[in-house]
Amino acid sequence: MFYREAGQYKTNYAADMAVFPLRQDRIGIAVILAIAFIGIPLLGNDFFIASVMIPFLVFSLAAIGLNILTGYTGLISLGTAAFMGVGAYSCYKLTTFFPGVNIIVLILVSGLFSAAIGVLFGLPSLRIKGFYLAVATLAAQFFLQWAFVRIPWLFNYNASGAIEVPQRTLFGLPITGASATPETRYFVCLGLVVVLTWFASNIVHGKLGRSWMAVRDMDIAAELMGIKLLNAKLTAFAVSSYFAGVAGAMMIFLWYGGGEANDVFTIRLSFTILFMVIIGGLGSLIGSFFGAAFLSALPTALKFGLPALGVPIGGAAAEHVTFMLVGALIIIFLIVEPHGLARLWQIGKQKLRTWPFPY
Amino acid sequence: MSDVAAQPTPNLLANGWIKSGLIVLGLVAAAIVGARIDPTGTIHAIFVDPFNQMAQAPDLLAQTIWEGLVSGVLYALIALGFVLIFKASGVFNFAQGIMVVFAALTLVGLYEKGVPAFLAVVLTLGVMFALAVTIERVVLRPLVNQPDIILFMATFGITYFLIGFGEAIFGGNPKQMIAEQLYLPKGAIDLKILGGIVSLQKIDIAAAIIASLMIAVLALFFQYTRIGRALRAVADSHKAALSVGISLNQIWVIVWFTAGIVALITGIMWGARSDVSFALEIVALKALPVLILGGFTSIPGAIVGGLIIGIGEKLGEFYWGPLIGGGIESWLAYFIALGFLLFRPQGLFGDKIIERI
Amino acid sequence: MNAHSMAVAGAPVTHKGEVLLSVESISLRFGGVKAITDVSFDIRKGEVRAIIGPNGAGKTSMLNCINGFYHPQEGRITYKGVRRDKMRPHRAAAAGIARTFQNVALFKGMSTLDNIMTGRTLKMRKGFFWQALRHGPAMNEEIEHRKVVEDIIDFLQIQHIRKLPVGKLPYGLQKRVELGRALAMEPELLLLDEPMAGMNLEEKEDMCRFILDVNNQFGTTIALIEHDMGVVMDLSDRVVVLEYGRKIADGTPAEVKADQRVIDAYLGVAH
Repeated sequence: MFYREAGQYKTNYAADMAVFPLRQDRIGIAVILAIAFIGIPLLGNDFFIASVMIPFLVFSLAAIGLNILTGYTGLISLGTAAFMGVGAYSCYKLTTFFPGVNIIVLILVSGLFSAAIGVLFGLPSLRIKGFYLAVATLAAQFFLQWAFVRIPWLFNYNASGAIEVPQRTLFGLPITGASATPETRYFVCLGLVVVLTWFASNIVHGKLGRSWMAVRDMDIAAELMGIKLLNAKLTAFAVSSYFAGVAGAMMIFLWYGGGEANDVFTIRLSFTILFMVIIGGLGSLIGSFFGAAFLSALPTALKFGLPALGVPIGGAAAEHVTFMLVGALIIIFLIVEPHGLARLWQIGKQKLRTWPFPY
Repeated sequence: MSDVAAQPTPNLLANGWIKSGLIVLGLVAAAIVGARIDPTGTIHAIFVDPFNQMAQAPDLLAQTIWEGLVSGVLYALIALGFVLIFKASGVFNFAQGIMVVFAALTLVGLYEKGVPAFLAVVLTLGVMFALAVTIERVVLRPLVNQPDIILFMATFGITYFLIGFGEAIFGGNPKQMIAEQLYLPKGAIDLKILGGIVSLQKIDIAAAIIASLMIAVLALFFQYTRIGRALRAVADSHKAALSVGISLNQIWVIVWFTAGIVALITGIMWGARSDVSFALEIVALKALPVLILGGFTSIPGAIVGGLIIGIGEKLGEFYWGPLIGGGIESWLAYFIALGFLLFRPQGLFGDKIIERI
Repeated sequence: MNAHSMAVAGAPVTHKGEVLLSVESISLRFGGVKAITDVSFDIRKGEVRAIIGPNGAGKTSMLNCINGFYHPQEGRITYKGVRRDKMRPHRAAAAGIARTFQNVALFKGMSTLDNIMTGRTLKMRKGFFWQALRHGPAMNEEIEHRKVVEDIIDFLQIQHIRKLPVGKLPYGLQKRVELGRALAMEPELLLLDEPMAGMNLEEKEDMCRFILDVNNQFGTTIALIEHDMGVVMDLSDRVVVLEYGRKIADGTPAEVKADQRVIDAYLGVAH
């Protein structure tokens, strides 16, 4: 009744081509942004912000990255964690070389290194497809993970073998390092995610996004439309890895505050992000957020939520249940709704549009 | 021919074998020239020194190859499970590795509960059958005629479910395989050859023999039984098989159960060499490069691919690994497969795919 | 009929325009299977050229050779005076060759609008940076091309399905969208692979009208494969007939219809 496009006429193509053509959607986005920028910092406690919101934002960005590759371009990758690692280690080296440059700039630049490595490992995608490509990305995963551990230059020859995050400030406020508060780290994450999501949305709605989807849906026809397959696939790898790289840098610098590749950037992480994309919805940016929210909150909810409800569950048992639930959910989603939570959201919106009438 | 330069002998280079052969030849030639020019530097260390080492200590080389052969047999066994399922249902079963762990854990777990060893084997087979039926009912049946990639991702779901399920029941700690109770041989045979001692574990020899037997039985089964023929029909086309009255559900149960048996045998062999734990999950991923080498539908391919990967990565680790810090075993297999893919995308024994539009 | 003599530009006066594309004695094999054997013909600017023949005669393979998806082992293809028998498909597209497919090859996950917009890809020049901003030059470019696409949508009368995903459209409409996508490339040579297969009479009539309109209004040269002889006779200026990968006849519809070998091929005579 309230969510309806009746009476909203578009008088030019620009209005019709907007990402959110409906006024109600635009209001909705504004409300969500207001909650994210004002509501959560005001109302959320440190635990919520540091252990729920920041992981959610980092995973969302990584999931958007993988969705560009897998959902939009149709190339399966099992190496997302490794590309995130490239971002994290590049950022660490950049902070060492350019201590004076703002850390946010460095985080954004470190994505470029990840993009370059992504292109390198994307090169075989011209000749191989499907499962074969999945194996090729496993090569990236294991090789890069090995490199992060075996090349001491990457972690500045630290005895711990891990990235040690230095303190960096923005306008005098510490945003990385031990003394940065969860709120400031949250704001930085949020800002980066909002801006990068906006870029991603623009790209997938434009010429490049259409080329990717064309390659995904029917590569032969795409080539006969004049789309160069190698270009389309490599740009997808580049943009995807860029997002993964930035997410990885954010993960270490703004969330973990340090860490080692073998603990963080493992094949398990690659899978987790792939599952976020599947459950959230292949080929949907908003789905990436849904998937990230769902899978990043699930372990926390089981670990802390069930005991709070009076169900006794140990940490290990919670982890096992998480695995089983995630596995089962993947199967359920593939059977019931291969387009994931994003499609459920759309169906909901469609229902709302005609409510209270059935159609 | 005057315009050779304009058309660089396309027919010759179109052949993948000749092309890769020429590249290998070129590399060898470059290496020899490089080593001559620079007898102590990097090129020497990469292209000459390892071969010198091999020539000087042939017993070590034989030992390394044997080690590679043995891990290759195990890779091949896992890959065999993949191939069986892929051939018969077109599903790329990512969960095969975890099925190996799950089967082994069930066996050991049952034994620990006090079940006699051989009864435990029978019961484990029962569990694998139940698993096959469940997967068919819950996962495959609702997904008939979905794109392959959807089924592929569904097996990720199976993998994760089995990891959680296995850990919840049996715990995450590594366990000892009940090798002795199953009368598997122990100890080693030391061969005094090649001017040194090459030590062969009896369990490895047993693994190789059992693996060959199993492969022979499977090949016969596929080739000469009615079910085998039906399996091949289903692999070609779900719809067409249905239309000639083959029961997909029955076939799938059979095939997944067969893969479960293969998984159990692999699990016993593997468990007898190291211990039974979820660490195997990562090792099992190495079956994927094996499949790339061998092709997804070829049983001999899985064997040959397994051996190439096994031996290749052991040799690489032992002779070249130290040059760049060691531990290259974790990724070498993937790179061998990747390099191979660029020359022969359809695998060693796979058929060339002609795209029709 | 000697095909080589026909390849000389403007030789017979009865046909339209100069030679746009000429195929000279090409042969195509897949392993041991011969798809095309020593076929030559040409396509003249502004004409509607039909390629007909029984199933498996090598018609689709011929189109695939022309737009660079297959590379014939022998012979040469000359397009606008440039030899290009080793060209990649996207280069063929850039050179102004568009096509539709026998089994509709639309981008199923995308809307009608987006499908047709992909046809404009080659004409869009704004770089990655502007696309990421989606304001200023990139947006103006999108709007400018959207206008062209809307004209095509109007022309094909598919306004009502503009925003629907094409995967769920009925077959006849999908064929129409596919034609629209090819038209969006503003091709000089349009290859249509069985544009009317699987259509009912009304849809066929519509499609015929669109093809003729494209040919008349935009002057687009059209090469089409079709099984419906009535359609071929009505639409085409000249017809080439293939059988078992060889050319058995070439000429105006009337000439071809009277050719004994064509009659044999279609009625089936023991070889």
